[in-house]
Amino acid sequence: MVTEKDKRTGGQVWEQWKEFVWNPRTHEFMGRTGSSWAFIILFYLVFYVFLTAMFTLTMWVMLQTVSDHIPTYQDQLATPGLMIRPKTENLEVLVNLSDSSSWNEHVQILDKFLEPYNDSIQAQKNDVCRPGHYYEQPDNGVLNYPKRACQFNRTQLGDCSGLNDPTHYGYSTGQPCIFIKMNRVINFYAGANQTMNVTCAGKRNEDAKNLGDFTMFPANGNIDLMYFPYYGKKFHVNYTQPLVAVKFMNVTRNVEVNVECRINAVNIATNDERDKFAGRVAFKLQIIKT
Amino acid sequence: MRAAEILARDGPNVLSPPKETPEIIKFLKQMIGGFSSLLWAGAVLCFIAYLIEFSKDKSASLDNLYLGGVLIVVVILTGMFAYYQEAKSTNIIASFTKMIPRNALVIRNGEKYEIPAEHLVLGDIVEIKGGDQIPADIRILTSQGCKVDNSSLTGESEPQFRSCEVTHENPLESKNIGFYSTTCLEGTATGMVINTGDRTVIGRIASLASSVGHEKTPIAIEIEHFVHIVAGVAVSIGIVFFIIAICMKYRVLDAVIFLIGIILANVPEGLVAAVTVSLSLTAKRMAKKNCLVKNLEAVETLGSTSIICSDKTGTLTQNRMTVAHLWFDNEIYQADTSENQKDQIFDQSSATWTSLSKIVMLCNRAEFKSGQESVPIMKKIVMGDASEAALLKFSEVVMGDVIERRKKNRKVVEIPFNSVNKFQLSIHETDDPNDKRFLLVMKGAPERILEKCSTIMINGQEQPLDESSVKAFQDAYMELGGLGERVLGFCHLYLPEDEFPDNYSFDVESMNFPTSDLCFVGLISLIDPPRSTVPDAVIKCRSAGIKVIMVTGDHPITAKAIARSVGIISANSETVEDIAKRLKIPVEKVNKREAKAAVVSGMELKEMSPEQLDELLANHTEIVFARTSPQQKLVIVEGCQRQNAIVAVTGDGVNDSPALKKADIGIAMGCAGSDAAKIAADMVLLDDNFSSIVTGIEEGRLIFDNLKKIIAFTLTKNIAELIPFLIFIIAGVPLPIGTIAILFIDLGTDIIPSIALAYEKAESDIMNRKPRHKKKDRLVNHQLALYSYLQIGILQSVGGFFAYFTVYTVQGFKPDLLLYLRPLWENDSLNDLEDSYGQEWTKYQRQYLEWTGYTAYFVAVMVQQIADVIIRKTRINSVFQQGLFRNKYIWVGIASQIIIAVILSSGFGSIPVLNFTTLRIQYWFVAVPYAIVIWLYDEFRKLLVRHYPGSWWDKTMYY
Repeated sequence: MVTEKDKRTGGQVWEQWKEFVWNPRTHEFMGRTGSSWAFIILFYLVFYVFLTAMFTLTMWVMLQTVSDHIPTYQDQLATPGLMIRPKTENLEVLVNLSDSSSWNEHVQILDKFLEPYNDSIQAQKNDVCRPGHYYEQPDNGVLNYPKRACQFNRTQLGDCSGLNDPTHYGYSTGQPCIFIKMNRVINFYAGANQTMNVTCAGKRNEDAKNLGDFTMFPANGNIDLMYFPYYGKKFHVNYTQPLVAVKFMNVTRNVEVNVECRINAVNIATNDERDKFAGRVAFKLQIIKT
Repeated sequence: MRAAEILARDGPNVLSPPKETPEIIKFLKQMIGGFSSLLWAGAVLCFIAYLIEFSKDKSASLDNLYLGGVLIVVVILTGMFAYYQEAKSTNIIASFTKMIPRNALVIRNGEKYEIPAEHLVLGDIVEIKGGDQIPADIRILTSQGCKVDNSSLTGESEPQFRSCEVTHENPLESKNIGFYSTTCLEGTATGMVINTGDRTVIGRIASLASSVGHEKTPIAIEIEHFVHIVAGVAVSIGIVFFIIAICMKYRVLDAVIFLIGIILANVPEGLVAAVTVSLSLTAKRMAKKNCLVKNLEAVETLGSTSIICSDKTGTLTQNRMTVAHLWFDNEIYQADTSENQKDQIFDQSSATWTSLSKIVMLCNRAEFKSGQESVPIMKKIVMGDASEAALLKFSEVVMGDVIERRKKNRKVVEIPFNSVNKFQLSIHETDDPNDKRFLLVMKGAPERILEKCSTIMINGQEQPLDESSVKAFQDAYMELGGLGERVLGFCHLYLPEDEFPDNYSFDVESMNFPTSDLCFVGLISLIDPPRSTVPDAVIKCRSAGIKVIMVTGDHPITAKAIARSVGIISANSETVEDIAKRLKIPVEKVNKREAKAAVVSGMELKEMSPEQLDELLANHTEIVFARTSPQQKLVIVEGCQRQNAIVAVTGDGVNDSPALKKADIGIAMGCAGSDAAKIAADMVLLDDNFSSIVTGIEEGRLIFDNLKKIIAFTLTKNIAELIPFLIFIIAGVPLPIGTIAILFIDLGTDIIPSIALAYEKAESDIMNRKPRHKKKDRLVNHQLALYSYLQIGILQSVGGFFAYFTVYTVQGFKPDLLLYLRPLWENDSLNDLEDSYGQEWTKYQRQYLEWTGYTAYFVAVMVQQIADVIIRKTRINSVFQQGLFRNKYIWVGIASQIIIAVILSSGFGSIPVLNFTTLRIQYWFVAVPYAIVIWLYDEFRKLLVRHYPGSWWDKTMYY
């Protein structure tokens, strides 16, 4: 088969291209006449309006089927994660004792984070609950009845409360407080009616050595059952998440220490291979002193 | 020994096979051709991305490394698959062309040896006899009535005498050369080998043929065109979004990863495999219909054929002389010429017929080969030339056991036919024991026979040959000759008993018997009749817009007669000569435009300039080229190709091979074809039957239509794979579908349904359409691309996103929250991301949800692709007109889609890297409304296309 390869010169290509863009003979722009373009544009306009309408309709129907206060499924939140404050890049808490700007940001974050925990605010908004018991608030026939929350007072955090604290949660003296919180999961009865607490340790042997002593607030790292269950942000408006503060007293200076804190609760597994934050949290602590 | 030395010097006496592309090159071509290069680019980008990440952070995620590896595996696997398919179809033919080892009888050192023909060397003396193939080019040393068939070399089907005289300076014309691979029909000869192997005349032609370039097949061009479109779309969207991503302050590394995703989503990875399988399925189907396709792509070429240049002998005709007409008692009788003539129905009561039949039977040297008692008469093999064989079979059919009758009429003496006498004569005893006379029977060229006669037999009575009976003879002779038939005259004489007693010794040399004043009995005309299926096939071609051109070495009159009888020249069309004759004006004065038909002889063709040939081909729809040499076939093919036609050429001779190569599709004859022709051709017709070409064309057209459907089906979901990336970049939502899931759609769920579309039946009579225009009717036109990309594709994406949003919503992330969530969502150290309900998610929990999103989107696309494969069954008819269940394979395909998705979603897919999760049963159905809309919308489109042909809608929406 022989087709003469039409070798076209650059000029011809340009001419052809020009004619494609605007053909004065047939009044065609990009190979279509004006009316053809109008039809095409109109058609696609109608088509996409129809599509949008259909998408909107199906989405609306779908959103009607989900509840306002609890998601349809929670299977992926079977184990709540743990997290620390201050939350830093790569969960590395770096404190340079000779450079206050290295920890100032942490302190500001913590100030802001702990503000809702001020005793005055808690007393004003939240109930005093019975410790050691879940604070269940059934709807009792009233649909989506607003829920009350239990008080978690900042003073419960003791030395880490940051109240009247010239050491700025210990950051200025190299004895920083790290706050540990457990992720909120709606209708999750953490601890399964038994006491639970948070424990921390160095990840490896040398970490444990470098970590030194630490103190926990509330004592023993306890988390009380009364803060559970959580009823969702829409109806459990003033919910106050329980915290555990850990004050590291004498961390070896100038060494990166890997710390891991985990929750000891009957119904929270802390050994998930793939989710490194299920029921535990790992972070790095480094205090630099030159 | 000397022979061994020469053998070592010259090599064996075989044609060296045409240069094959080395297997490794073929393999590598599959590896880098088409989309593979894009995928390679994607893989390289993956590795680069990984290396950049790795150089920054030693614990970088291995995902990019895996993806790059997977891409390479995909390229290699699809490449290997295409290579395997290609190799499989070439192997069919390789086994086919393997020559049967032939032996030659050679005289060396005065002793006869039988050695394999390939061991022959220069200077060997060989003996050949009737039925042998000549083992090398030889110079005849001695010859006893040796006749050869040079048709494979020169195209002339007349047997030619070989003797030891040099009759021409040109060895091709000289009578003393026997050519390699031609056959000796009868007689014996000895000759000296003068050329072996590639140095033989045939070897030189064969090497000429292999030097004629073979260009790309139309389907290859179409697929290339399609690859260009898709690759263009992929690369341009990729680059545009690369720039957008950079402008949106994404990291360059991220932008590169987006680029990979966009390329991956755009490339239909499974398409090459699907197309290859579909073509080979069609090739298999064609092989069942006697079209053996050597090159897979030739399957479609046949479908786009617009001109067929067909041989006459053997392809249009039965390739055997057959009695067509008889003339006796001043009347012309027609004989049955069909393939399996059972009985002849003309009037056999006349006494003249009795005499004529006796002459036909006795004056004939042909004999059936022994041991064929159970073979039907028409299929029996005959020793003797074509005309004699025809007459032998004819008399066998009409009168029964000819051999037995010949025995009863013992032959006393005979003079075989020769070109000087132009007659054949024999003298027999009669079978009547009381009649002691001898019967002299004679046949030959009618005018020579008539010269020897003084009487003519009418109704069994001898009458003097007067002017009126001579005129009657002339008219009959002219009429039969005008039909292109070979006419033979028959006469006889009972020798008077007193002059020729039964002990009379006849002498051929001195001719001591009368050869004049004989009694003329009748004429019989012979023709190589058309195959009975051919006229229908020609009509089919004509309604399919295919021009059938006959190219033959035969005489123009014969050619025209056959052309008329098979319909190549239709009943009511005339040639210039016909018009001139009708209007009684000189040929030059006829307006050439009025003549639809043209018969052009090789001599005339020689005189024509290419422009004149173009004009001839353009202005006449019915063309016969007669008396052409095989070389001129090449000229004709080139002329047709200048008309932008896709040309199919049939051929069997070695000399045809250049034309076969030059043609868009060369068709070699399986039975009559020489090996050289089969090697040069793209296709082999196993039954040598023209009508098989037509069934082949039908299959070729069907596969073109079905490839359109396959491509439309495959392209659609590419948009549904691409849009997620675009939305992901622009709107910052968590990624809706991952690259691995995309590969599982392209190479998993979609493969079998797309192949199943190849089994789809034609929507309407595809043989009533014009052949597709090479440049205008593209495989992938803009209608197909726009409809698949911008309509169904977008619809599918919307359906996919609906499923995606649904699974996120039910887990707690409502759509409004997802917008621009990406920086937080993908932050590894953020392990308490709040959802719409105030719950907090760790990174891995989000990651798992993202995989669930992939799975949901994947399933949604799969569900909508089920609707897509159903709508792609037809392009214009309603699916219900086509029959929803007629193509069972579609349902196998749909089942495969579902099964693969279920397997992936039910645990198998949860192994690392694959990242599928188990989807709740109800989320398998979220996209069903969209699937239904796709179906309904396409039915609506087809309805409008059917009802308003030629409308704006038809032009825009029919692909």
